[in-house]
Amino acid sequence: MHEEQATKGFYNLVWPQRAAVLRLARLLTGSSHEADDLAQETLLKAFKKIGTFREGTDVKAWLFAILRNTRIDRLRAVGLKTEISLSDIAAEPAAPSEGGNQSVEWDHPQEVLNRFSDAQVIDAIQKLPEEIRWTLLLVDVEGMGHAEAAEVLQVPLGTIKSRVHRGHSMLRDRLLPVAVERRFVRE
Amino acid sequence: MTEANPQENSLDLDEAIAGRLARLRSLPVDTSRLDQLLRGQIPERPHHRWTSWPRPFQAIAASVVLLVGLVGAFLLTASSGPVLASGIQMAQVHADIVAGRIPVMQVDSIAKANQMLADKSPGAPSLPQIPQSHVMACCMKSVHDKKMACVLLKDGGIPVTLSVANAADMKLPAVPTMTRNGTSYRVQSVNGLSMVMTERSGKWLCLIGAMPAERLMDMAELVQF
Repeated sequence: MHEEQATKGFYNLVWPQRAAVLRLARLLTGSSHEADDLAQETLLKAFKKIGTFREGTDVKAWLFAILRNTRIDRLRAVGLKTEISLSDIAAEPAAPSEGGNQSVEWDHPQEVLNRFSDAQVIDAIQKLPEEIRWTLLLVDVEGMGHAEAAEVLQVPLGTIKSRVHRGHSMLRDRLLPVAVERRFVRE
Repeated sequence: MTEANPQENSLDLDEAIAGRLARLRSLPVDTSRLDQLLRGQIPERPHHRWTSWPRPFQAIAASVVLLVGLVGAFLLTASSGPVLASGIQMAQVHADIVAGRIPVMQVDSIAKANQMLADKSPGAPSLPQIPQSHVMACCMKSVHDKKMACVLLKDGGIPVTLSVANAADMKLPAVPTMTRNGTSYRVQSVNGLSMVMTERSGKWLCLIGAMPAERLMDMAELVQF
Protein backbone atom coordinates (compact mmCIF):
# COMPACT_ATOMS: atom_id res chain seq x y z
CA MET A 1 0.00 0.00 0.00
CA HIS A 2 1.21 3.48 -0.86
CA GLU A 3 2.35 5.37 2.27
CA GLU A 4 -0.10 8.24 1.74
CA GLN A 5 -2.97 5.77 1.39
CA ALA A 6 -1.82 3.92 4.51
CA THR A 7 -1.62 7.17 6.45
CA LYS A 8 -5.08 8.19 5.29
CA GLY A 9 -6.49 4.77 6.21
CA PHE A 10 -4.82 4.95 9.61
CA TYR A 11 -6.27 8.36 10.43
CA ASN A 12 -9.73 7.44 9.15
CA LEU A 13 -10.04 4.02 10.77
CA VAL A 14 -7.58 3.63 13.62
CA TRP A 15 -7.07 7.12 15.04
CA PRO A 16 -10.70 7.52 16.25
CA GLN A 17 -10.32 4.23 18.18
CA ARG A 18 -7.16 5.16 20.06
CA ALA A 19 -9.07 6.09 23.23
CA ALA A 20 -10.75 2.65 23.23
CA VAL A 21 -7.36 0.95 22.77
CA LEU A 22 -5.85 3.02 25.57
CA ARG A 23 -8.79 2.34 27.89
CA LEU A 24 -8.51 -1.42 27.36
CA ALA A 25 -4.73 -1.25 27.89
CA ARG A 26 -5.30 0.76 31.06
CA LEU A 27 -7.82 -1.73 32.47
CA LEU A 28 -5.58 -4.61 31.48
CA THR A 29 -2.33 -3.35 32.96
CA GLY A 30 -3.61 -1.20 35.82
CA SER A 31 -0.88 1.33 35.09
CA SER A 32 -1.34 4.42 32.96
CA HIS A 33 2.34 4.54 32.00
CA GLU A 34 2.43 0.90 30.93
CA ALA A 35 -0.90 1.36 29.15
CA ASP A 36 0.44 4.32 27.15
CA ASP A 37 3.44 2.24 26.02
CA LEU A 38 1.29 -0.78 25.18
CA ALA A 39 -1.22 1.33 23.23
CA GLN A 40 1.62 3.12 21.42
CA GLU A 41 3.18 -0.15 20.28
CA THR A 42 -0.25 -1.46 19.25
CA LEU A 43 -1.05 1.63 17.17
CA LEU A 44 2.37 1.62 15.51
CA LYS A 45 1.82 -2.02 14.52
CA ALA A 46 -1.67 -1.13 13.26
CA PHE A 47 -0.15 1.61 11.12
CA LYS A 48 2.33 -0.83 9.58
CA LYS A 49 -0.37 -3.47 9.03
CA ILE A 50 -3.18 -1.20 7.88
CA GLY A 51 -3.02 -2.79 4.41
CA THR A 52 -4.07 -6.14 5.93
CA PHE A 53 -7.25 -4.76 7.49
CA ARG A 54 -10.29 -6.16 5.67
CA GLU A 55 -12.85 -3.48 4.91
CA GLY A 56 -16.27 -4.20 6.34
CA THR A 57 -14.86 -5.98 9.41
CA ASP A 58 -14.75 -4.53 12.91
CA VAL A 59 -11.73 -2.27 13.26
CA LYS A 60 -11.94 -2.36 17.06
CA ALA A 61 -11.74 -6.17 17.11
CA TRP A 62 -8.78 -5.96 14.72
CA LEU A 63 -7.02 -3.48 17.00
CA PHE A 64 -7.76 -5.51 20.12
CA ALA A 65 -6.26 -8.60 18.47
CA ILE A 66 -3.07 -6.60 17.79
CA LEU A 67 -3.15 -5.30 21.37
CA ARG A 68 -3.50 -8.86 22.61
CA ASN A 69 -0.47 -10.11 20.65
CA THR A 70 1.59 -7.10 21.68
CA ARG A 71 0.73 -7.74 25.33
CA ILE A 72 1.73 -11.42 25.01
CA ASP A 73 5.06 -10.43 23.44
CA ARG A 74 5.74 -7.94 26.21
CA LEU A 75 4.89 -10.43 28.97
CA ARG A 76 7.08 -13.09 27.34
CA ALA A 77 9.92 -10.61 27.06
CA VAL A 78 9.94 -10.18 30.84
CA GLY A 79 9.48 -13.91 31.44
CA LEU A 80 5.89 -13.85 32.66
CA LYS A 81 3.45 -16.61 31.75
CA THR A 82 0.82 -15.77 29.19
CA GLU A 83 -1.31 -18.88 29.33
CA ILE A 84 -3.99 -19.53 31.88
CA SER A 85 -3.09 -22.33 34.28
CA LEU A 86 -5.38 -25.30 34.85
CA SER A 87 -5.83 -24.32 38.48
CA ASP A 88 -7.29 -21.02 37.32
CA ILE A 89 -10.22 -22.71 35.65
CA ALA A 90 -10.38 -26.21 37.10
CA ALA A 91 -13.07 -25.51 39.65
CA GLU A 92 -15.46 -23.75 37.32
CA PRO A 93 -18.24 -23.26 36.68
CA ALA A 94 -20.77 -24.45 39.24
CA ALA A 95 -18.49 -24.85 42.23
CA PRO A 96 -18.79 -22.25 44.96
CA SER A 97 -16.21 -19.56 44.56
CA GLU A 98 -12.99 -19.93 46.51
CA GLY A 99 -13.20 -18.36 49.93
CA GLY A 100 -16.64 -17.01 49.10
CA ASN A 101 -18.76 -16.23 52.08
CA GLN A 102 -22.00 -17.95 51.14
CA SER A 103 -23.83 -16.59 54.18
CA VAL A 104 -23.57 -13.04 52.86
CA GLU A 105 -26.71 -11.85 51.12
CA TRP A 106 -26.59 -9.98 47.83
CA ASP A 107 -30.27 -9.11 47.89
CA HIS A 108 -30.09 -6.34 45.32
CA PRO A 109 -26.88 -7.05 43.44
CA GLN A 110 -27.23 -4.18 40.95
CA GLU A 111 -27.73 -1.69 43.76
CA VAL A 112 -24.81 -3.10 45.75
CA LEU A 113 -22.47 -3.11 42.75
CA ASN A 114 -23.36 0.46 41.85
CA ARG A 115 -22.06 1.53 45.24
CA PHE A 116 -18.53 0.45 44.31
CA SER A 117 -16.39 3.17 42.78
CA ASP A 118 -14.78 2.57 39.39
CA ALA A 119 -11.39 2.44 41.13
CA GLN A 120 -12.57 -0.38 43.41
CA VAL A 121 -13.94 -2.37 40.46
CA ILE A 122 -10.75 -1.81 38.46
CA ASP A 123 -8.67 -2.92 41.42
CA ALA A 124 -10.70 -6.14 41.63
CA ILE A 125 -10.24 -6.73 37.88
CA GLN A 126 -6.49 -6.42 38.32
CA LYS A 127 -6.53 -9.34 40.72
CA LEU A 128 -8.04 -11.71 38.15
CA PRO A 129 -5.84 -14.05 36.09
CA GLU A 130 -4.75 -12.45 32.80
CA GLU A 131 -6.92 -14.60 30.50
CA ILE A 132 -10.05 -14.17 32.58
CA ARG A 133 -9.38 -10.43 32.79
CA TRP A 134 -9.08 -10.28 28.99
CA THR A 135 -12.35 -12.15 28.57
CA LEU A 136 -14.33 -9.91 30.93
CA LEU A 137 -12.83 -6.76 29.41
CA LEU A 138 -13.82 -7.79 25.89
CA VAL A 139 -17.23 -9.25 26.67
CA ASP A 140 -18.55 -7.14 29.54
CA VAL A 141 -16.65 -3.87 29.29
CA GLU A 142 -16.35 -3.59 25.50
CA GLY A 143 -19.66 -5.38 24.85
CA MET A 144 -18.26 -7.83 22.30
CA GLY A 145 -20.18 -10.97 21.41
CA HIS A 146 -18.77 -14.29 22.65
CA ALA A 147 -17.86 -15.36 19.11
CA GLU A 148 -16.07 -12.10 18.42
CA ALA A 149 -14.15 -12.31 21.71
CA ALA A 150 -13.24 -15.92 20.92
CA GLU A 151 -11.75 -14.73 17.64
CA VAL A 152 -9.71 -11.97 19.29
CA LEU A 153 -8.42 -14.31 21.98
CA GLN A 154 -8.03 -17.27 19.59
CA VAL A 155 -9.88 -19.71 21.83
CA PRO A 156 -13.01 -21.87 21.34
CA LEU A 157 -16.42 -20.31 22.00
CA GLY A 158 -17.04 -22.63 24.97
CA THR A 159 -13.88 -21.35 26.64
CA ILE A 160 -15.19 -17.79 26.50
CA LYS A 161 -18.50 -18.85 28.04
CA SER A 162 -16.85 -20.68 30.92
CA ARG A 163 -14.35 -17.87 31.50
CA VAL A 164 -17.14 -15.30 31.68
CA HIS A 165 -18.96 -17.40 34.26
CA ARG A 166 -15.80 -18.09 36.21
CA GLY A 167 -14.71 -14.46 35.96
CA HIS A 168 -17.98 -13.17 37.41
CA SER A 169 -17.69 -15.59 40.28
CA MET A 170 -14.07 -14.57 40.97
CA LEU A 171 -14.90 -10.89 40.73
CA ARG A 172 -17.73 -11.32 43.23
CA ASP A 173 -15.23 -12.91 45.63
CA ARG A 174 -12.76 -10.05 45.18
CA LEU A 175 -15.48 -7.47 45.83
CA LEU A 176 -17.16 -9.27 48.70
CA PRO A 177 -14.71 -8.29 51.49
CA VAL A 178 -15.02 -4.64 50.46
CA ALA A 179 -18.81 -4.91 50.35
CA VAL A 180 -18.85 -6.42 53.86
CA GLU A 181 -16.36 -3.90 55.24
CA ARG A 182 -18.33 -0.98 53.85
CA ARG A 183 -21.61 -2.54 54.89
CA PHE A 184 -22.96 -2.67 51.33
CA VAL A 185 -24.24 -6.19 52.15
CA ARG A 186 -25.60 -7.93 55.24
CA GLU A 187 -23.80 -10.85 56.86
CA MET B 1 -43.24 -17.68 52.53
CA THR B 2 -41.22 -17.99 49.35
CA GLU B 3 -37.59 -18.98 49.38
CA ALA B 4 -35.02 -17.33 47.15
CA ASN B 5 -33.97 -19.57 44.29
CA PRO B 6 -30.11 -19.76 44.43
CA GLN B 7 -29.89 -20.27 40.66
CA GLU B 8 -32.01 -17.17 40.04
CA ASN B 9 -29.90 -15.17 42.52
CA SER B 10 -26.77 -16.30 40.76
CA LEU B 11 -28.18 -15.17 37.40
CA ASP B 12 -29.12 -11.79 38.88
CA LEU B 13 -25.64 -11.40 40.28
CA ASP B 14 -24.11 -12.43 36.96
CA GLU B 15 -26.15 -9.79 35.14
CA ALA B 16 -25.39 -7.19 37.78
CA ILE B 17 -21.64 -7.81 37.48
CA ALA B 18 -21.83 -7.64 33.69
CA GLY B 19 -23.79 -4.38 33.98
CA ARG B 20 -21.32 -2.86 36.43
CA LEU B 21 -18.39 -3.78 34.19
CA ALA B 22 -20.17 -2.30 31.16
CA ARG B 23 -20.17 1.08 32.91
CA LEU B 24 -16.37 1.11 32.69
CA ARG B 25 -16.84 1.64 28.94
CA SER B 26 -17.58 5.30 29.65
CA LEU B 27 -14.40 5.70 31.70
CA PRO B 28 -12.68 8.81 30.35
CA VAL B 29 -9.11 8.40 29.12
CA ASP B 30 -6.44 11.01 28.53
CA THR B 31 -4.79 10.34 25.18
CA SER B 32 -2.45 13.34 25.33
CA ARG B 33 0.66 11.33 26.34
CA LEU B 34 -0.14 8.64 23.78
CA ASP B 35 -0.61 11.28 21.07
CA GLN B 36 2.74 12.75 22.03
CA LEU B 37 4.42 9.33 21.89
CA LEU B 38 2.99 8.69 18.43
CA ARG B 39 3.90 12.09 17.05
CA GLY B 40 7.00 11.78 14.94
CA GLN B 41 6.57 8.04 14.49
CA ILE B 42 3.54 8.29 12.23
CA PRO B 43 3.33 10.73 9.31
CA GLU B 44 1.09 13.77 9.76
CA ARG B 45 -2.51 13.47 8.60
CA PRO B 46 -2.53 14.07 4.83
CA HIS B 47 -4.04 17.38 3.77
CA HIS B 48 -5.86 18.25 0.58
CA ARG B 49 -3.34 18.76 -2.16
CA TRP B 50 -3.63 21.78 -4.39
CA THR B 51 -0.94 20.67 -6.82
CA SER B 52 -3.46 19.42 -9.35
CA TRP B 53 -5.36 22.74 -9.38
CA PRO B 54 -4.58 25.29 -12.08
CA ARG B 55 -2.30 28.05 -10.77
CA PRO B 56 -4.89 30.90 -10.94
CA PHE B 57 -7.27 28.82 -8.75
CA GLN B 58 -4.48 28.14 -6.27
CA ALA B 59 -3.83 31.88 -6.01
CA ILE B 60 -7.55 32.65 -5.54
CA ALA B 61 -7.93 29.89 -2.93
CA ALA B 62 -4.86 31.14 -1.05
CA SER B 63 -6.27 34.69 -1.06
CA VAL B 64 -9.62 33.47 0.28
CA VAL B 65 -7.88 31.50 3.07
CA LEU B 66 -5.79 34.56 3.97
CA LEU B 67 -8.86 36.81 4.02
CA VAL B 68 -10.85 34.36 6.17
CA GLY B 69 -7.88 34.11 8.54
CA LEU B 70 -7.61 37.90 8.86
CA VAL B 71 -11.36 38.32 9.45
CA GLY B 72 -11.29 35.47 12.00
CA ALA B 73 -8.34 37.01 13.84
CA PHE B 74 -10.10 40.38 13.88
CA LEU B 75 -13.33 38.84 15.23
CA LEU B 76 -11.43 36.93 17.88
CA THR B 77 -9.58 39.96 19.17
CA ALA B 78 -12.67 42.15 18.92
CA SER B 79 -15.02 39.72 20.68
CA SER B 80 -14.63 40.90 24.24
CA GLY B 81 -18.35 40.63 25.08
CA PRO B 82 -20.20 37.60 26.38
CA VAL B 83 -20.59 34.62 24.05
CA LEU B 84 -23.27 31.98 23.69
CA ALA B 85 -22.45 28.33 24.33
CA SER B 86 -25.13 26.57 22.31
CA GLY B 87 -26.83 23.42 23.50
CA ILE B 88 -25.27 21.49 20.62
CA GLN B 89 -21.77 22.74 21.52
CA MET B 90 -22.21 21.81 25.17
CA ALA B 91 -23.68 18.39 24.31
CA GLN B 92 -20.64 17.79 22.10
CA VAL B 93 -18.28 18.75 24.94
CA HIS B 94 -20.07 16.26 27.22
CA ALA B 95 -20.01 13.48 24.60
CA ASP B 96 -16.30 14.09 23.87
CA ILE B 97 -15.33 14.00 27.54
CA VAL B 98 -17.34 10.83 28.21
CA ALA B 99 -15.99 9.07 25.11
CA GLY B 100 -12.43 10.14 25.88
CA ARG B 101 -12.14 12.01 22.58
CA ILE B 102 -10.51 15.02 24.21
CA PRO B 103 -7.61 15.05 26.66
CA VAL B 104 -8.80 15.09 30.25
CA MET B 105 -7.05 14.81 33.59
CA GLN B 106 -8.11 11.97 35.88
CA VAL B 107 -9.04 13.36 39.28
CA ASP B 108 -10.95 12.11 42.27
CA SER B 109 -11.86 15.38 43.96
CA ILE B 110 -12.80 18.94 43.09
CA ALA B 111 -9.77 20.22 45.03
CA LYS B 112 -7.46 18.10 42.88
CA ALA B 113 -9.28 19.20 39.72
CA ASN B 114 -8.90 22.88 40.63
CA GLN B 115 -5.23 22.40 41.41
CA MET B 116 -4.58 20.72 38.04
CA LEU B 117 -6.65 23.25 36.09
CA ALA B 118 -4.90 26.16 37.81
CA ASP B 119 -1.50 24.67 36.93
CA LYS B 120 -2.55 24.27 33.32
CA SER B 121 -4.54 27.49 32.81
CA PRO B 122 -3.68 30.12 35.44
CA GLY B 123 -6.53 32.57 35.97
CA ALA B 124 -9.15 30.20 34.59
CA PRO B 125 -12.48 29.87 36.45
CA SER B 126 -12.33 27.41 39.33
CA LEU B 127 -14.81 24.62 39.95
CA PRO B 128 -17.29 24.76 42.83
CA GLN B 129 -17.72 22.05 45.45
CA ILE B 130 -20.50 19.53 44.82
CA PRO B 131 -21.09 17.34 47.87
CA GLN B 132 -21.96 13.66 47.38
CA SER B 133 -20.69 13.55 43.82
CA HIS B 134 -18.20 11.10 42.45
CA VAL B 135 -15.56 13.16 40.61
CA MET B 136 -13.94 11.46 37.61
CA ALA B 137 -12.02 13.82 35.35
CA CYS B 138 -11.60 17.46 34.43
CA CYS B 139 -10.47 19.60 31.53
CA MET B 140 -10.40 23.19 30.31
CA LYS B 141 -12.37 24.08 27.18
CA SER B 142 -12.92 27.30 25.29
CA VAL B 143 -16.13 28.59 23.78
CA HIS B 144 -15.01 31.15 21.23
CA ASP B 145 -12.22 32.73 23.29
CA LYS B 146 -13.82 32.29 26.71
CA LYS B 147 -12.44 29.72 29.12
CA MET B 148 -14.68 27.15 30.70
CA ALA B 149 -13.66 24.63 33.40
CA CYS B 150 -15.37 21.25 33.01
CA VAL B 151 -15.57 18.34 35.40
CA LEU B 152 -17.02 14.91 34.73
CA LEU B 153 -19.06 13.57 37.63
CA LYS B 154 -21.05 10.40 38.13
CA ASP B 155 -24.48 10.56 39.65
CA GLY B 156 -25.99 7.14 40.29
CA GLY B 157 -23.61 5.76 37.68
CA ILE B 158 -24.66 8.27 35.01
CA PRO B 159 -21.99 10.65 33.68
CA VAL B 160 -22.75 14.34 34.21
CA THR B 161 -20.59 17.20 32.96
CA LEU B 162 -20.52 20.35 35.05
CA SER B 163 -19.05 23.39 33.30
CA VAL B 164 -18.24 26.71 34.91
CA ALA B 165 -17.24 30.05 33.37
CA ASN B 166 -17.31 33.67 34.44
CA ALA B 167 -20.88 34.93 34.09
CA ALA B 168 -19.60 38.09 32.36
CA ASP B 169 -18.17 35.91 29.58
CA MET B 170 -21.26 33.88 28.77
CA LYS B 171 -24.79 34.51 27.55
CA LEU B 172 -27.69 32.34 28.62
CA PRO B 173 -29.60 30.83 25.68
CA ALA B 174 -33.14 31.87 24.77
CA VAL B 175 -34.75 28.58 25.83
CA PRO B 176 -37.55 27.83 28.34
CA THR B 177 -36.89 28.86 31.92
CA MET B 178 -37.75 26.94 35.08
CA THR B 179 -37.52 28.45 38.54
CA ARG B 180 -36.50 26.38 41.54
CA ASN B 181 -36.15 27.89 45.03
CA GLY B 182 -35.74 31.36 43.58
CA THR B 183 -33.11 30.37 41.01
CA SER B 184 -33.93 30.49 37.29
CA TYR B 185 -32.62 27.72 35.09
CA ARG B 186 -32.55 27.68 31.28
CA VAL B 187 -33.60 24.15 30.43
CA GLN B 188 -33.16 22.34 27.13
CA SER B 189 -32.74 18.88 25.70
CA VAL B 190 -30.22 18.00 22.98
CA ASN B 191 -29.49 14.55 21.53
CA GLY B 192 -31.22 12.80 24.43
CA LEU B 193 -29.29 14.81 27.01
CA SER B 194 -30.86 17.22 29.46
CA MET B 195 -29.09 20.50 30.05
CA VAL B 196 -29.62 23.20 32.65
CA MET B 197 -27.80 26.53 32.67
CA THR B 198 -27.90 29.25 35.29
CA GLU B 199 -25.87 32.06 36.84
CA ARG B 200 -24.85 32.11 40.47
CA SER B 201 -22.26 34.08 42.44
CA GLY B 202 -20.95 35.71 39.27
CA LYS B 203 -20.46 32.33 37.57
CA TRP B 204 -22.15 30.73 34.60
CA LEU B 205 -23.03 27.13 35.38
CA CYS B 206 -24.08 24.33 33.03
CA LEU B 207 -24.96 20.72 33.92
CA ILE B 208 -25.52 18.06 31.25
CA GLY B 209 -26.44 14.40 31.52
CA ALA B 210 -28.79 11.69 30.32
CA MET B 211 -31.24 12.20 33.18
CA PRO B 212 -34.27 14.37 33.93
CA ALA B 213 -33.59 18.12 34.08
CA GLU B 214 -35.05 18.10 37.62
CA ARG B 215 -32.21 15.86 38.79
CA LEU B 216 -29.67 18.22 37.24
CA MET B 217 -31.33 21.13 39.05
CA ASP B 218 -31.11 19.10 42.29
CA MET B 219 -27.37 18.80 41.68
CA ALA B 220 -27.05 22.49 40.78
CA GLU B 221 -28.64 23.38 44.11
CA LEU B 222 -25.87 21.50 45.92
CA VAL B 223 -23.14 23.49 44.19
CA GLN B 224 -21.13 25.59 46.66
CA PHE B 225 -19.03 28.45 45.32
